[in-house]
Amino acid sequence: MAMGQQLFIFGAAFLGSAVEATEALTIVLAVGLTRGWREPLLGTLAAVVALGLLVVVFGQLIVTRVPEEALKLLVGTLLLLFGLRWLHKAVLRSAGVVAMHDEDHAYQQTVAQLGAAAAGRDWVGFILALKGVFLEGLEVVFIVIAVGGTGGGMPAAVAGGLVAAAAVAGAGLVVRKPLARVPENTLKYAVGILLTSLGTFWAAEGMGASWPLDFASILGLVVVYLVASRLAIFLIRRPAVA
Amino acid sequence: MSFLRVAVQRVVGLFVGDWLQSAVVLVIIAVGWMAVLRFGPPALALLVLLLAVQLVWFARAEGKRARS
Repeated sequence: MAMGQQLFIFGAAFLGSAVEATEALTIVLAVGLTRGWREPLLGTLAAVVALGLLVVVFGQLIVTRVPEEALKLLVGTLLLLFGLRWLHKAVLRSAGVVAMHDEDHAYQQTVAQLGAAAAGRDWVGFILALKGVFLEGLEVVFIVIAVGGTGGGMPAAVAGGLVAAAAVAGAGLVVRKPLARVPENTLKYAVGILLTSLGTFWAAEGMGASWPLDFASILGLVVVYLVASRLAIFLIRRPAVA
Repeated sequence: MSFLRVAVQRVVGLFVGDWLQSAVVLVIIAVGWMAVLRFGPPALALLVLLLAVQLVWFARAEGKRARS
């Protein structure tokens, strides 16, 4: 696989995973700073192990058992649906229809659900961290498997996911508060465009089509979806003509 | 059980925000597939155009709904 393609896969997995890891970090920080660190960290560890198992089991299963063409069509279609969902929401946020995601607000909401630290083993802290990290991590698992599952890109995708998780965890360890300054909405917009483009590329290859310029065609797809999303934002923002 | 239900909802929610939009995307893929089989690579332009148009259409429709 070409270096540029590996870099694209690494970048898409990294950015997508970083967004979800930031949201998971907010939950762990809210639990840890409110009720103590032992149980939320154990919950996080349990969730990370479960997510790792999902990547290994499903990643191995689809790469070894599903024929390449069918895999491209299936993964491409799922990536398209997933990427378009992110892109649709990003367009609505950019147009001011939906409120921007705010990590400080999410942090306060989680803290409001929690009481004071419990004596002895704190199952609430364990379960909240486990649930939060696992549910946010499901999107990371999908992104890593889908982005890396075809064309031998799994090592690059797994590396992108791991580096993103490590970078976000490291940043959280240093600042010890939600990473509200991460431009999450912009990142989701960018990842939505990347995944939609990648999904279109692979779905079409799964149909048996060959793209002119091969993988470089993805850059053209990125431009098309960027223009379409900017047009949608413009049309939504434009005042209605009476 | 509620955790499993939330996890299943979350997995479905990864791909489906609006059932109608998801159905339209699947129809576009099916149409694109038939067009690719019949006309070859030039049909890719139709596939990409239809996907881009549905993105604009559904975002605009939701924007209108939210404003009214």
